[in-house]
Amino acid sequence: MLSSEGKDESFFISVKKGGKARDFIMRKVCASDMKHNLAEMKSHVLEEISKVSTSEELDSVRVRYLGRKGEISVLLKHIGSLAPEERPEFGAAVNALREQVADAISRRKDELDKLALEEILHRDTIDISLPGEVYEIGGLHPLTKAMREVASVFSSLGFAAYESREAETDEMNFVKLNIAPGHPARDMQETFYLSDNTLMRTHTSPGQIRGMLSLKGKLPVRFIVPGRVYRRDPTDASHHPVFHQVEGLAVDIDVTFKELRGVLSAFMKRFFGQEVSTRLRPSYFPFTEPSCEVDISCMFCKGKGCSVCGGSGYLEVAGAGMVHPRVLVNGGYDPGKVTGFAFGFGLDRLAMLKYGIDDIRLLYGNDRRFLSQFRGL
Amino acid sequence: MRVPWTWLNEYTDLRWDPQEAAHRLTMAGINVEGLSYEKLEISSVVSAKVLDVKPHPRKPGQQIGILDAGTEKLQIVSGAPGFKKGNIALVVRPGGTLPGGVRIEPRELDGVVSQGMAVCANELLTGQPPRPHEDIILLPPGTALGIPAQELFELDDWVMELELTVNYSHCLGILGVAMEASALAKTPLVLPEVLEKWNWAGAYGSLEPESHNDGEPEIQINLPDPELCPRYVGKLVEDVRFAYSPVNIERRLYLAGQRPLNLIVDATNYVMLETGQPLHAFDAGKISGKAIAVRSSRPGEVLVTLDGEERELPERTIVIADASGPVAVAGIMGGKATEITGATRKVLVESAYFEPLLVRLASQKLKLRTEAALRFEKGVDPTAQAAAAERAAALIAGLSGGMPVSGYAETNHLQIEPKRIMLHMKTVERVLGTKFSPETCREILEAINFQVEEGGTTVPEGTSILVTVPPRRVDIQAEVDLIEEVARHYGYGNLGIGDLSRVVPGGITDPHKLCVEKIRDLLVSLGGMECVTNSLVGPGDLACLGWNSGDPRGNPVRLRNPLSSQESVLRTSLIPGLMKVASANMRSGIPGMFIWEIGRVFFPSAELPIEAGQIGFASYGVLKPETWLGGPDESGFYRMKGVISSLMDLLGAFNIEYLPRAGMPFHPGRSARIVANMSTIGEIGELHPVCLKHLDIPLPVTASWLSLDGLMSAVKPRDYKAVSRFMPVERDLAVIVPEGVPGGDVIDSIRKTGKHLVSVILFDIWRKPPVPPDHKSLAIRLVYQPQDRTLTEEELAEDRQRIMKRLKEDYDAVLRA
Repeated sequence: MLSSEGKDESFFISVKKGGKARDFIMRKVCASDMKHNLAEMKSHVLEEISKVSTSEELDSVRVRYLGRKGEISVLLKHIGSLAPEERPEFGAAVNALREQVADAISRRKDELDKLALEEILHRDTIDISLPGEVYEIGGLHPLTKAMREVASVFSSLGFAAYESREAETDEMNFVKLNIAPGHPARDMQETFYLSDNTLMRTHTSPGQIRGMLSLKGKLPVRFIVPGRVYRRDPTDASHHPVFHQVEGLAVDIDVTFKELRGVLSAFMKRFFGQEVSTRLRPSYFPFTEPSCEVDISCMFCKGKGCSVCGGSGYLEVAGAGMVHPRVLVNGGYDPGKVTGFAFGFGLDRLAMLKYGIDDIRLLYGNDRRFLSQFRGL
Repeated sequence: MRVPWTWLNEYTDLRWDPQEAAHRLTMAGINVEGLSYEKLEISSVVSAKVLDVKPHPRKPGQQIGILDAGTEKLQIVSGAPGFKKGNIALVVRPGGTLPGGVRIEPRELDGVVSQGMAVCANELLTGQPPRPHEDIILLPPGTALGIPAQELFELDDWVMELELTVNYSHCLGILGVAMEASALAKTPLVLPEVLEKWNWAGAYGSLEPESHNDGEPEIQINLPDPELCPRYVGKLVEDVRFAYSPVNIERRLYLAGQRPLNLIVDATNYVMLETGQPLHAFDAGKISGKAIAVRSSRPGEVLVTLDGEERELPERTIVIADASGPVAVAGIMGGKATEITGATRKVLVESAYFEPLLVRLASQKLKLRTEAALRFEKGVDPTAQAAAAERAAALIAGLSGGMPVSGYAETNHLQIEPKRIMLHMKTVERVLGTKFSPETCREILEAINFQVEEGGTTVPEGTSILVTVPPRRVDIQAEVDLIEEVARHYGYGNLGIGDLSRVVPGGITDPHKLCVEKIRDLLVSLGGMECVTNSLVGPGDLACLGWNSGDPRGNPVRLRNPLSSQESVLRTSLIPGLMKVASANMRSGIPGMFIWEIGRVFFPSAELPIEAGQIGFASYGVLKPETWLGGPDESGFYRMKGVISSLMDLLGAFNIEYLPRAGMPFHPGRSARIVANMSTIGEIGELHPVCLKHLDIPLPVTASWLSLDGLMSAVKPRDYKAVSRFMPVERDLAVIVPEGVPGGDVIDSIRKTGKHLVSVILFDIWRKPPVPPDHKSLAIRLVYQPQDRTLTEEELAEDRQRIMKRLKEDYDAVLRA
């Protein structure tokens, strides 16, 4: 609280601090005394500011000294009691004091705000070790994942995807593919029949004929046929009566066996990895001539020979060859003008090799514990 | 087919190790599936000379011999006729073993110790006792003593297991394999004398017999139907006596997978394995009527085959018949009645060409897959019958000590025109992508016994060659077949790899297919686990879902020849498959799952079944367990409806309605038809408790299906709309309607009646006071956001009135105070 009595040559300023009053005696003596007293006041006020611990207290200190009726403001009222020549110096000193105090309050305010924020942050701290809110994302079946990779590689090699029928005529499944009734190749495929002349396709190869016919002689022909196929094989670790194949067909004026090698080798590298090498081994299919089996170096033993590849270092993964002239004719193309290559492989086997699955039944059992392992990328 | 290494090398000296040979053959298309070293499990079997014999004092017929086994003298007891002083026998020393783990120890025979055993071929090769009339093995005089059996006979050998594709029927004889191998290894091919004489390996096939025997053949061969059997050679071998084959021949037959029987039958089998031409030996003395005919079976005819089975002969089976009826199933198996026995004195060796397809059908119907049938059905060399018969007769004569061979009969309706194909170098390059010279092609083709000439006058010199195809190569029909021969002997791996500069897509881009892949991704992001289930199901699976003949789903396409009734019809819905998955996972203790599948379903139609794309969904249990943050996420009707709505929204399929439905397989009060453009595109619902019971599924399951075509037809391209710059305004509305009013209808009605609404969300349903009984209060949050302004309070109030008026009229709705 402030009380000042304007008597004699001296006046008092009472400052109450913490309930204790202390008087500064401002004597009307000389400027140097005054300066001394102002300095004393400054150190006292600054100390007081530094001890303030809340912004409310700080605000009351500000009002006490710097308010319109604050102690420092009041000092200026007494300027008249000084000698005129001393007045400017006193005025400047008081203003300087005022600025210093204001500055100190402002700095203290920043400090207190910072402390208060820290306090809030501390108070709001959470246990980051607790589990978060998990989203249940589903997953694609490994066969779909493998199929997409296959389609994407072949797409980059210029092959579109064509879906063909699963129920077929004997004509499309066999005859048009150069497998006449009684042909020994029919023995290789145990067929589910629907009627005398309709059946469940035993391979995706009839897609070659349907695809070519739908293109009506246009060139180039370049597509894959993915899909389900059916064979009368009892289920075991490597057989399932329903499984998946991917057929590929390219027909143009200059398609060669050499390009077939290139395409298959590029596919195998991109699907299984750069270290995988591909070899073609002569074989027989009624709808291709020359025909070959497609072997890849075993990725499990790097070609050294292991139980997966039966010690040979190679895995048989596909069949291929140059499209038989009669098949080209059946698809509406002139074998005198165009050549073609075709290939086909079991998607299940490819997926099993890629993901290291040792039993085909797992693919069709859809056990959650199995499927969820393929959820990621 | 099994190819013993030593046997193969008899025809061409390969100078490769068996592994290398297996690899080279495989890479030329002769697929060697396995290569194994077959070791006869014997020990301490050595040559020993009988120094002296004396009769066993107490056992009549048994001799006690003292034998010199090189390093030791052995006392051995034997009753064999060949156990005579001066003969060199093969003996098992005490402690020695025979196949099958038979261990020979010194043993006492009625007071006389036998230190080992003199063995016959059957004991040596199989460990089994002697066959009838089988003598011990006798070695040539002068054979050194104490020499192990392995050094005296070819007992241990590598065996290649060939897995031949159907076009390589010429390799169904070891000579055929040898021919391929000699071409690959560039080593000469050496034929057995008789086959060389008959020019068996020639490009025009084996020679035709020059002349028949003078006079009446002893057995007349009649071919009434040349379609069944165009060529039949019968070779008579007289004065035969019963014997077993030499050890080396028996061992070769075992290694090749054929059980030796007796010298005559073994000779026919040996020649079959050698040349690929199946032969059969009849006891000529048992053929009645001095004539045989090759004809089609007659209804009701039966034959007891060599294996002792009485078989009814299926229709269109080719049979060999004598005056009494069938004596053999042609090309498959002989009959018991004319079998070679100990009493056989005269043999008829049959070497014929039977119609491949008929042999195949008969073999399938009789379920008799014999080595002979396997070869006939693939097609044998149509010229080699006489050569093979001669070879077998010579073998029989040679092995049995030079018995006279006479009699010869042949009937031949086959006119073998040499097949000649022009091979153009241009075509070779067009197909293979690599240039070939006529010389390279000639070299390759001649090495496998094709005959090659210059391309003739019609084409420029050096551009083509004229190739004569040996008749044994029944697989070679056209120019491309020759190209394959060139390519596989040149090496597929040497053909170079083409560049991949071709990027013009040549196919059909199916937008439908692209959309299906997007749907898959959306379903994954919505938490669904994709399944792939069998498209073959059982009628029971459909019946469990309550689909009977009244429902198209109860009328599946049936397989004619299913493996089992559980996989005997084509699925008419994806739901049965998903139910099995759900059930199996429940039983594995999985607390909950949301699964789906995209695949085809099938319905009967005139010719081929209708195939339709479908998405199936199923879910059960707790999809996400309760955590400290909340939950659990439970499956159920609304959960699945939400997924489907999200899917529709993401695809841009709007104006989807859910309408009440009835019938299996869903709970009548908890299921809906999913309708777009007035047609049903799917269903959703909780499974009917009766279905769950039939399926033996313990937990409630929600399922749904959507037709892919139906879904696609509902997808509309989305137009971009400008984003409003004005703040949205929210207003809540609580309306009380009678319980029977579908809440969805109220929401739809609000959506259609209100103006500038961007969202209408039902956030609460209240059925307690102050809402009157049999009523419900629907709390709905409306969000308004016009393009051009912020709505005023007056406008909002006006809209609310408009909505309430509509709801009052249509649903007797009142605003909740």
